[in-house]
Amino acid sequence: MLFNSLNFAIFLPVVFILYWFVTQKSLKIQNLLLLVASYFFYACWNYKLLFLLLFSTLLGFITAIKIHESGKTNIRQSWLWFYLAVNLGLLGIFKYYNFFASSFIGVVSSLGFHTDFWALDVILPVGISFYTFHGLSYVIDVYKKRVDPTRSFVEYAVFVSFFPLLVAGPIERATHLLPQIQQKRQFNYSEAVDGLKQILWGLLKKIVIADSCAEYVNLIFDNSTLYSGSTLALGVIFFSFQIYCDFSGYSDIAIGTGKLFGIELFQNFAFPYFSRNISEFWRKWHISLSAWFRDYVFFPLERQRFKLLGQPLNILVVFFLTGLWHGANWTFVIWGLLHGSYLILFSVLGRFGKYPTQVPRPSRVSNFFYFIETLLTFLLVSFAWIFFRAKDVKHAISYIIELFSSSIISAPELPSKAWGTIVFIGIFLAVEWLGRNQGYAIGHLGLNWPRPLRWALYYIIVIVIFYYAGSEQQFIYFQF
Amino acid sequence: MNRFLKNLGLFILPVFLLCASAEFALRSIPNDYSYKSNYLDRNSENIEVLFLGSSHAYRDINPIFINLNGFNAGYVSQTLDYDLKILEKYDGNWGHLKYIVLPISYFSLFYQLRTSTESWRVKNYNIYYGMTSSNKLTDYFEILSNNLEINLERITSYYVLGKPNITSSQLGWGASFNSGSQPDLLESGVSAATRHTYADDKYFNDNLTILRSIIYFADKRHITVFLYTPPAYHSYVEHLDKAQLERTLMAIKQIDHDSRNVFYVNFLTDDSFTAVDFLDADHLNEIGAEKFTKKIGELIYKNSQ
Repeated sequence: MLFNSLNFAIFLPVVFILYWFVTQKSLKIQNLLLLVASYFFYACWNYKLLFLLLFSTLLGFITAIKIHESGKTNIRQSWLWFYLAVNLGLLGIFKYYNFFASSFIGVVSSLGFHTDFWALDVILPVGISFYTFHGLSYVIDVYKKRVDPTRSFVEYAVFVSFFPLLVAGPIERATHLLPQIQQKRQFNYSEAVDGLKQILWGLLKKIVIADSCAEYVNLIFDNSTLYSGSTLALGVIFFSFQIYCDFSGYSDIAIGTGKLFGIELFQNFAFPYFSRNISEFWRKWHISLSAWFRDYVFFPLERQRFKLLGQPLNILVVFFLTGLWHGANWTFVIWGLLHGSYLILFSVLGRFGKYPTQVPRPSRVSNFFYFIETLLTFLLVSFAWIFFRAKDVKHAISYIIELFSSSIISAPELPSKAWGTIVFIGIFLAVEWLGRNQGYAIGHLGLNWPRPLRWALYYIIVIVIFYYAGSEQQFIYFQF
Repeated sequence: MNRFLKNLGLFILPVFLLCASAEFALRSIPNDYSYKSNYLDRNSENIEVLFLGSSHAYRDINPIFINLNGFNAGYVSQTLDYDLKILEKYDGNWGHLKYIVLPISYFSLFYQLRTSTESWRVKNYNIYYGMTSSNKLTDYFEILSNNLEINLERITSYYVLGKPNITSSQLGWGASFNSGSQPDLLESGVSAATRHTYADDKYFNDNLTILRSIIYFADKRHITVFLYTPPAYHSYVEHLDKAQLERTLMAIKQIDHDSRNVFYVNFLTDDSFTAVDFLDADHLNEIGAEKFTKKIGELIYKNSQ
């Protein structure tokens, strides 16, 4: 069920009431409720794939205990490799088999040979990339002795499948989420209200900005040969905001929902489009994923003998995998490698570690170069989004060629309603800029206002959401 | 916790009351679905010829030109599954029904309303015909099927500006369209043919099953089913996908052959319909509707002899 659906609007209060009124006295029962609710939530997508989720969870649970109990390093390593092979193998089969097989056939055919391959007729399980990475981080952390394994299957299963983050993250760590599951939660009024506010903000980003942009993105990208360079440029800008508002909106709803249950989830986006370079961008965009690849791929590559390959190659490996994680298409791989190249370039230019702080200081606002750096970073990121959105590499290349043709200086050909969306994006950016010191843009907005004014703001947001709601667009990251 | 629930309730109450009022206001606006449903509620027992189907029935058939008691229960984007549901809803009331007239157009076997871009219309069948044709809760509420902008426009248009919302004639024909508003037949033919062409046939077998159910329903009650492929302008016909058209025609001819209570006529390339008869390349205007309805009437009469 989608977060912006009536079904979820009924599911959430039911689970909330049961959680705080019926099961509150027993932590075990409360966790069991979360597990049942999470599995019900997942079953609404496809109940047949519950088996896969359950299998992956059981495997992680048992493997972690076995690793912990084994005294010998080689046995611990064997269990770890066994778990990695099976879990990543499942991910590989469901997500990548047809892609790699057809790519292999393409290469073989280009060499003049003919071969058939047996395509797998499998559904891509929703959220498989997310819950697989949850499990991987847990087992690896147990192996590294960063965390002790839990002996409660329910606790571990809730960690893997907690419904707000089950299908599109944030990708949590056992060190952060598991202790919260293992401890009794107390209802906190301020946290709950903040959670509702964050859900409202996430819904506004998704329904008002993302879905409005999607209308024009679909029109422009699906008919890119018919439009001028300037219109294609607008298409890229719209997609930049569609994907940001779609994904960060989902994360806001997930995090806000977690707060309703007394559970704190990772911040997943920290206003990435205000980044001054690509390195900063990747510290602010899909933070849980980039941190995962940094901790479990990049740092091990840097520490081991692979360091001989040099940091640039390690960066490319990480971003190759990041791109591939997003989907079984060469467009995602190219998108990832582009970002890897950007990082290497910034590294060479000596700007890799610049701006380590998460939040730009207000005093920089008047700095002209700050604006230029931010704009350049945004343009580089937007350029890479072309590959992310295009249906294949050929489409992306033809899009780029037409984009940079002489027609880029003509007036864009879009319905007048599109300009309303552009104004909305401008207002949205202003709100985000003003709220960039917080976990989400309107986090502190209205806190000191009298209740009627504060509620008037919330009602305005609700009305705007209702004004734009009506045609459901799938969350983009559900395909991962 | 109590404070949280109390404040949340206070916050939601006005929203809920507004939504409930809007829902009531929207449902109270007379529309074609409520009109047709009410007409069938009152008159189904007297109907002798029932016209069902998509806009190809809704706009092309004016029952006033039939010498039997007829009613046009077709509507825009109405698919075979909803034709069957209408028949089943009034089962027991079809005491005088002799003929069901149903268009099988180029696209009829290839798409279903519930999964199309027009799926927002499903709520009209659930709300105004009282059907339960969907398991999505949003398909049972007006305010959840369209966004606020559209709903506000509907409320303003009816309650403030007094604009009528019913486009059907008394006997259900799509009367608001007339020969004075004729778009480019060449362009509309190409765009309609493209819009009606489907890349896959995932609904084909399902739709055939539904069609057979309609025929079986009719046969049990001694009702004749008149299937037809409606007339269209040459610009539409020339741009149809031959495989899709061929498959549709073959399926219908097979059904005609196999069923004792069915007769089928293909009007797709009937050259008695010229440019003056068409509203657009695949729909007739009032001139064409009169001509076509009389033709249907003559065929029904011949069949009855």
